Amino acid sequence: MSRYVLQRLLGMLTVMFTVVTIVFIIVRVAPGDPAAVMLGPDATPADIEVLRVRLGLDQPLPIQYVYFLAQLARGDLGHSIFLDMPVASALLDRAEPTFFLTLFAILIASAIALPVGIMSAYRRGGLFDQSVTTLTVLAASIPSFWLGLILIQVFAVRLGWFPVAGYGGPDASFLTRMSHLVLPATALGVVSSALITRFTRASMLDVLNDDYVRTARSKGMGELRVVMKHAFKNALIPVLTVIGLTAALLVSGAVVTETVFSLPGVGNLVVSAVLRRDYPVIQGALLVIAAIYVLINFGIDMLYLMIDPRVRY
Amino acid sequence: MLRKLIIAGLAGASMLAASQAFAQERGGVVNVATIGELTTLDPMTATGDLLGMVTQHFFETLYTFDKNWGVTPLLAEGLPEVSADGKVHTIKLRQGITFHDGSAMTSEDVVASLKRWLEVASRGKLVAANLDKLEAVDDYTVRITLKQPFAPLTALLAFNNSAAVVLPSEKIAETLSEYVGTGPYMIKERKPDQYLQLVRFDGYKSREGEPDGFGGARKQYLDEIRFVPVPDANTRVEGAIAGQYDYADLLPVEAFDRLNGQAKTEPLVLKSFGWPMFIMNNKEGMMTKPGLRKAVQAALNSEDMLAAAFGKPDFFAVDGALYPEGYQWRSDAGVEGYNQGNPDKAKELATEAGYDGKPIRILTSRQYEFHYKMAQVAAEYLKAAGLAVQLDVVDWATLVQRRAEPALWDIFITHSPFLPDPALIAPLPASYPGWWASEAKDKLVVELNTEMDPEKRVAIWSDIQKLIYDEAPFYKVGDFNALSAKSPKLGGFTASAWPYFWNAHLTK
Repeated sequence: MSRYVLQRLLGMLTVMFTVVTIVFIIVRVAPGDPAAVMLGPDATPADIEVLRVRLGLDQPLPIQYVYFLAQLARGDLGHSIFLDMPVASALLDRAEPTFFLTLFAILIASAIALPVGIMSAYRRGGLFDQSVTTLTVLAASIPSFWLGLILIQVFAVRLGWFPVAGYGGPDASFLTRMSHLVLPATALGVVSSALITRFTRASMLDVLNDDYVRTARSKGMGELRVVMKHAFKNALIPVLTVIGLTAALLVSGAVVTETVFSLPGVGNLVVSAVLRRDYPVIQGALLVIAAIYVLINFGIDMLYLMIDPRVRY
Repeated sequence: MLRKLIIAGLAGASMLAASQAFAQERGGVVNVATIGELTTLDPMTATGDLLGMVTQHFFETLYTFDKNWGVTPLLAEGLPEVSADGKVHTIKLRQGITFHDGSAMTSEDVVASLKRWLEVASRGKLVAANLDKLEAVDDYTVRITLKQPFAPLTALLAFNNSAAVVLPSEKIAETLSEYVGTGPYMIKERKPDQYLQLVRFDGYKSREGEPDGFGGARKQYLDEIRFVPVPDANTRVEGAIAGQYDYADLLPVEAFDRLNGQAKTEPLVLKSFGWPMFIMNNKEGMMTKPGLRKAVQAALNSEDMLAAAFGKPDFFAVDGALYPEGYQWRSDAGVEGYNQGNPDKAKELATEAGYDGKPIRILTSRQYEFHYKMAQVAAEYLKAAGLAVQLDVVDWATLVQRRAEPALWDIFITHSPFLPDPALIAPLPASYPGWWASEAKDKLVVELNTEMDPEKRVAIWSDIQKLIYDEAPFYKVGDFNALSAKSPKLGGFTASAWPYFWNAHLTK
């Protein structure tokens, strides 16, 4: 078992190093120049060159890469060119909205997807199952930003129950900040629930016909217990994987929803950094996102260990 | 006794009424939804409308613009005393001005700030080339000596981006780490992508008299101004309708009908907000041929381009003059070259210029959707004239980088506000991408810059506008208006391309 954990840890490090290198290269190979963006539309080439020198962007790429690695080794993600703050602080500022948005979205998605998926598999081919199939195709096809705009129209503008956008002002309490997340988390949760529902249904269908389920039933066990204890527990592994990957995707990939709701999340930070060519932020944020992906995958692997004894051997 | 009581009662009632009126106006927080996060808070080092709009609340310049776009003093006591030869400008400073850190503003701060501006600001560099000496005469007098007269000096000193803002001398550095100014509001907290919180500066000393555009008295009714970046334009619209934002900047023109008749917001049309232009590459490639530039000018139909970009005619004007009605600089010289939409003439001009069928590369960005829409319509008109077109659509950062490389494009699209002095128009200097080099232009620009008589300067500008149509270094597409929205509760607010919230107040 410890060998399994060690292998996974080594794999994590290799992935991280590769990500660091690829991100560094891609960011610099892409056209666009932070100095030009910073100085605005009227800047002359001479102004831009002076700022490039000041930002160290005139150095050869290998030297910039070595500086970057040395900085990382010291645990320093760099300093944002535009935000005028350490990249780590910029990311920390975004940790709260991103964490809770992801958490709420996953909770909403799971609350919809797990019971619906189980019921749909249990009543396979029936009216409920067919309706669920249609609805999940619909939910998966809805762009989250469109759903977001509809939610804004109904619940923020017409009913006035929730704020339209943002994450609260300087005096906003924790509860106020959380109220800003209800609509975006619902939009993301509903869209994400489609995939999880499909996986739950498929996974349950696989196990519902297995011998041990038939045995449990033949022993006279109640249906609820058969489905939840015997079938669902065994169907959980692929479902957990999908939930984990959806969570990882939401950390970085909720950009469009974050933009519609003006949420200061990690995805928003990355996109604005790309548009401004804020190299340190792009590198630092992608590195952290990659680390989150890797850690979530590692966590899922460890969960496998707990759920499925076969993995240990 | 009764009389005394009545008088006392009346006096008390009038004081109460006055205090109620004051209570109604003073106080409150306004939330201003802006188009996005600022890339810097240093208004010297960069241009950009958003930067000017936000930073003008905490940084101030020696001069600013009144409601007729005339230069008016702000931190200076009055307009500069100019020597007979037009070279020496003596500027008296207002006394008793304090910075947000409590230190007093003196000529030492002004000279140190102007030195930085001359070094780092693109507008400052226009002055630096002509500067002989900058010195403090005494604590409250600054003298600028030029090598030759330079008429746009005060307009350059008045601008709010690439701005000659006055900073405390001890805070001045290559990169600013503290944003301490003299403005009516000061920064309390900044959370990027969330808000910039400004609070009233109690030590502010307003000018006497009445407000006059950006000049005159600056009253501080509001307790706080919060600039909230809301990049999605539809969200700004919905936020204004829901009453979350007291002011929402730059909204899609299609939202006008939806904003009309709402309880918590009302539409605000900013007339003559700016002008889009097609900059031609005068340095390298096929557009260096004047005949081909004239062919493009003849082919384009501005009306259709503007209609595609801005929809309703209420939001644009088909106007070839480089300044709209109401500006002293307005002239009709050369405008017969505008909005021709004449493919036959264009074809003839292109053939005469030896056009070889190579595609004209139009560099544009969808970050400004109206640029892209205009490019699409222009491409059809150019094709109708037998000119091949290649649309190179990139993001704005890439466009800014590529336009500096003359080998990479033939036309690029940008836009500008109407600047108070034509000497500030971006594509006039040969250093600006587009690289318009022309002896006739150089001669006229020198005349425009050195002539101190305002009427003569207007006539010189008229000649420059005619030359722009004759040589076609760039093409002005037209004028466009902008749409914003404001709460009906927001009083004392003046619509502007750089909206400001001193003098504004919230009514209950």
